[in-house]
Order: sequence, then structure tokens, then C-alpha cells
Amino acid sequence: MYRKLKEVFSPQSVAVVGASNSFDKLGYHVMKSLVQGNYKGQIFPVNPKGETVWGMRSYTSLKETPDGVDLAVIAVPASHVSEILHQCGQKRVKGVVLITAGFREIEDVKGEVLEKEIGKIAEQYELPIIGPNTFGFINLTFGVNASFTPEFSLLKKGGVALISQSGGICHLCGFMAIKQRMGVSKLMSLGNRLNVGFPEVLKHLVEDDEATRVIALYIEGLDEPRGLLDAAASLRGRKPIIAYKGGKSEKGDSASRFHTGSLAGDYKIWKGALSQVGILEVTSSEEFVDTAKVFDACPPIKGPNVAVLSGQAGPGLIASDAVEQAGLKLARFAPGTQERINRILPPIAIRTNPVDMGPTWYNSKNIIDILEAALEDEGTHGIIFLAVFASANVNLAKEMEEYMKGAGPFEKPVVACFNAPPGIWDNEIIGMDAGKGFAILPTPERAAKAMGNLWRANLAGRFKI
Amino acid sequence: MNMERLLLGVEALAFLEENGLPVLKSSLARNENEAVSQASKMGFPVALKISSPDVVHKTETGGVMVALKDEGEVRWAFKEIVDVFTADFPAKRLDGVMVQELGKGFELIVGTRKDPQFGPVLMFGLGGIFAEAMKDVAFRLVPIESRDAKEMIEELKGYAALKNPRKGTIDLPTIEKFLMQISKFLEKHAEIQEMDLNPVFVASKDIGVCDARIRLG
Repeated sequence: MYRKLKEVFSPQSVAVVGASNSFDKLGYHVMKSLVQGNYKGQIFPVNPKGETVWGMRSYTSLKETPDGVDLAVIAVPASHVSEILHQCGQKRVKGVVLITAGFREIEDVKGEVLEKEIGKIAEQYELPIIGPNTFGFINLTFGVNASFTPEFSLLKKGGVALISQSGGICHLCGFMAIKQRMGVSKLMSLGNRLNVGFPEVLKHLVEDDEATRVIALYIEGLDEPRGLLDAAASLRGRKPIIAYKGGKSEKGDSASRFHTGSLAGDYKIWKGALSQVGILEVTSSEEFVDTAKVFDACPPIKGPNVAVLSGQAGPGLIASDAVEQAGLKLARFAPGTQERINRILPPIAIRTNPVDMGPTWYNSKNIIDILEAALEDEGTHGIIFLAVFASANVNLAKEMEEYMKGAGPFEKPVVACFNAPPGIWDNEIIGMDAGKGFAILPTPERAAKAMGNLWRANLAGRFKI
Repeated sequence: MNMERLLLGVEALAFLEENGLPVLKSSLARNENEAVSQASKMGFPVALKISSPDVVHKTETGGVMVALKDEGEVRWAFKEIVDVFTADFPAKRLDGVMVQELGKGFELIVGTRKDPQFGPVLMFGLGGIFAEAMKDVAFRLVPIESRDAKEMIEELKGYAALKNPRKGTIDLPTIEKFLMQISKFLEKHAEIQEMDLNPVFVASKDIGVCDARIRLG
């Protein structure tokens, strides 16, 4: 099944069943996503009235569309879905995004029955179906937004595939990713996972998707978690996999089976199982996005020793605290490195690690020299670089951006923070971010945590070095 | 026919021992004289524990006496345990009293069960308050590899206490090897539904199960 996904995610043509001019129909928004997302393939709107939809000729049924439809995006009421899936099968459509809800996720038993029915149809035609109950997918590598959220076309193209069991989490993290300039290859919600679930998508992303370098999973609960876990175990070490697990509350019944009944339950098993198959667990949406972004933008870290270079003492200090909490250590510079730094900085601030670059913060050349000294220091494996705006150092970001144009790519991860009032440094941050081994995160603590996750991933053999 | 069976105490330990797992030397004494001769063979000090198919938590019935140094103490303890038990629980069956070498070192717990979603899982934690109050336990799916055994130990909050115990030393590879043995044992015996090895004692390179409950089905 997973081999078929390559074509499903890179369709030469898309039929939108339920395409509409009415804002209150999901088919309207799917059309908007395709059109405004500059999809280069052919679009076939299907609408029973046959009216012009989004300025395009529409077809009254899928049967009437030209042959060779690669993908059908279906957004019609649940009761019509079976018939349309038969049409997809007969037309040899390569895959389906089934946006329609009202299947086994609803309380009414009819939903369950209907889902079994469409399951059989999918099996009959060997038709891969994303969903039902999904908002769709975006493949930025290929340039198709097959979802009801046109704004996802604003995502920056990159190497993170974000695969979620929940559409809401895709939106939460997808919008965070836009703001944070995380590079995305694919973003999708698997919905009810009729026949395309985590195991199939994982295999596709590792085996058939060169653009994806990092896989980020949001998992809620699975009836048969071993499928995902076995797939991850068999792919271990190929591409880093990060997971955020929702639904951690302890279930008394399963916990109580041990000993006195006071031990933890299911989540503890998830935690252990994820670790066992080499999936790196994160525990907040910020950490999820930060970690994925840094894994995509930066090279692996080869050791635990980090240099903290800060324009101000305080941010350097809290970063140093966070470095230790994240399981990293502050590097001890080689004598040659320390001499280079001492030549630049007067002995009025901390010149060992963390380095307080305060005395020279208005002099970008000196700051860059210190960064280069740390990059060349043999015992330093990663760098946290912190710059907080002050009127006197306003040129720093511009000059760093200029430097970055000619520098790198760095062989060590550099995670940076550039904190300034809105409107200042915005363009420079965009210019510098997430390229050449250099990633910008919002705060020193988050920078340290993401760097720590690079090291955790290395320890567990999730990266090839 | 219901095949479900619960192995406790001597019987559970014997089952483990037959399968090559390390257990504290234990035997069942039906009278004082047997208790004394078994204790002398094992070497003092020993512990005496009530052995009844109707008692799952021995300490709650006052049925455990530890650190018995000589023959006189063993005789006294045997009598005391049996007298108290028959007086307090006249309806419960009594097999005898288990004589056991005294566990030394750090207390660990190892549990296994079949989870409806994950299948067989293995739990490891530090004994006593660590497991009960702090919920300081780690899980893995069966089977485990040696890397998993190592990580299970390292991810405990009490890892520092294991690495640098207040007295004596603990050989961590000994614990890893033990966890691997348990995993292999579970693979071989699919009939094991649930096990609670609690406590398991570890001191330097010596490890041994002190008490066990095993549910077969």
C-alpha cells in the first residue's frame, strides 16, 4: 500500500468532489487551497449543478471527468461517499482524500457501519484513502495543497514532514511552523486512518520521499500501536522521528494491575515503547516544532559540549542553566580558542563559557570572530548564539546576515536567538534563519532544549553521523 | 476448563529457578525441625515467611520474620508465625513456613503483564517507596534488547541512587542481564499472564528474586 502513496501525494490532476462557490461548503475552501496554492496540475471541480466553480468548468459527476484523475478530494455528505468511491475505483483514481466526517468517530453506530462499508470498497479497488475525517494534506515539495486550509500554502518548503492523528494539532503546529519559518515537506492529518495509517506513511516518508529529512508525529491513541512501532523499529536510524503523544492521563485500571495499584499506566508504556524503537519523544507543541525545525536545519551534534555566546550576561546565564537541564555540558575551550576570544574581549566580563560578548556587542566583526573561534574549537560540538537588541547594536543582525551569506554551511549546529521589538530585525531574521546549519528559535531555554534533543537523538542512534 | 493458576512464594520461586533465573535460596518447612535443618544448610541469618495459598500479601498477615541468627531464633519464629496465623485466620489454609536466605543490598521490582494494546510488557523499577510513592518505573515491550535494558535503568529518577548506593556497590550489567533473562523467559512461556517479582535483591554482582507472584493462564 505505501508504494502507492508517492503518486497520491504528487498528483498530476485533482478532482474536487463537492467543489463549490459557497463559502460555507468545505469544497469551496479545497478549491481555494488548490487555486491560491498555485497548483500546477489540472483541477477538475465536480459539482452536481455543473455550474462554473472558481472560474472553472465543473463536471456533474466524477464519471464525466476526463480519464487520468490522480487524486480525488471528497467533501460531500457521508451518505454519498460509498457511491463516489465506487466511481473512483472504476475510473482508476490513484488515491483519495476523504474530508467527509461522520464515520466511526461519531457516537452513532451508523458511522461505524458506514466506515466498514467504505473500507470494503477501498479494499475492492485497492484504493488508498487519507481519512476519512481529515482536513487533507499539503505537499510543499511537489506544490499541492489538497486541504481545506489554503493558508498552509504559506509554509516554507523544507524537510519536516508533520503527520498528525488530529487535524487540530496540524493547524496549531502548522501555524506555529509558519511563524517560526520551519521548513516543511508534507503536513497531513490521518483522520480515522481507514487504510493509510502511521505505518504506511512512515514507510513512504523514509523510502519514497527524498525531500523529507525529519518526521514529526502527533499520536493520540492507537488500537494496535505495534504497527507503528514495528515500522519505526525497522526504519531506525534512517531518518530522525520525533513524536508528541497526547492523552497521557493515567488509566487507573491498567495501572492497578501491578503491585499495589499505585503505579503508572498506559502512557508509561507508550513512553518506553517510543524510546525502544528509536522515536524521540517531546512533551509540548513548542518543543515539537522547535525540535523538528532544528533537526531539519542543523547538522547532527557529535558530542554533548556546547558553547553559549551571548551579547548580554543574563540570557547567557539562563541558557547555560538550560544547557545542563537538557543533558548537555558547557564546553571548555581549548587554550588557543580561549586566547582568540581573550584578544577580542577585555577582562571585564566572563570570557570562558558562557561567553559574555557584552563589551563588544556594538562591534559585529568581533562578535563574528568569537562565533568563528567557537565553531573552530575542537571540543565544542554545538553553539547557542544569543543576541538581544539594544539601540547601540542595531546593526548586528544586518551584519550577521551579510556574514551568513558567505559563511557555512556549518558543520556544527548553531541555534540562535535574535530578540528585538516588532519591526526591527524581522527581515534579517528571515534572511538568516534555517539555512546552513543555523536555526533561530524564540528563547534561550528553547534553544538549549532543542540542542539537547539533537544530542538525545544522537545517543539513541536516531541520526547517522 | 479454567487453566488460570496463581503461583505464590516457594512454588513461584521454584518455577523461576527451574528456568534458570536467579532466586534466593528458599524451601518449605512443615515443622520446626525441618525449618532448623534447612536454615543450617543455607547458613544463618535467614528469613521465615508464612506460606499459604490464601495469603498474597505476607507482611499484612504478620507472617514475615527476618534476620534470624541461629537455631533458637528460627524455632521461636516458626512457632510464633504459625500460632499467630492460626489464631488470626482460622479459615485460611497453611502449607507451612518458607525458610529463605536473607536478601541483601538494593531492592528492585520487576513486573510483567499482557497489555490489551501492546501485548507483553516489562516493567522495571526500584523497590519500596521509589516504586510506590514516586512511580519511578520504566516500561518496555517484550522482547527487549540489551540497549533497552540499559536505558530502562538509566531513565529511572533513582538512577543516581543505583549508580552510587549509600553502601556497597551495584553492578548495573548484572541488572541488565537479569532483565534480558526475564524477557527471554516471557517469550518462552506464553502462558504467563502476569508476574510481580517484588522484591528482587541486588548487591554487587549478586541478584536474586526474593518473592514472586505469577499468574498463568
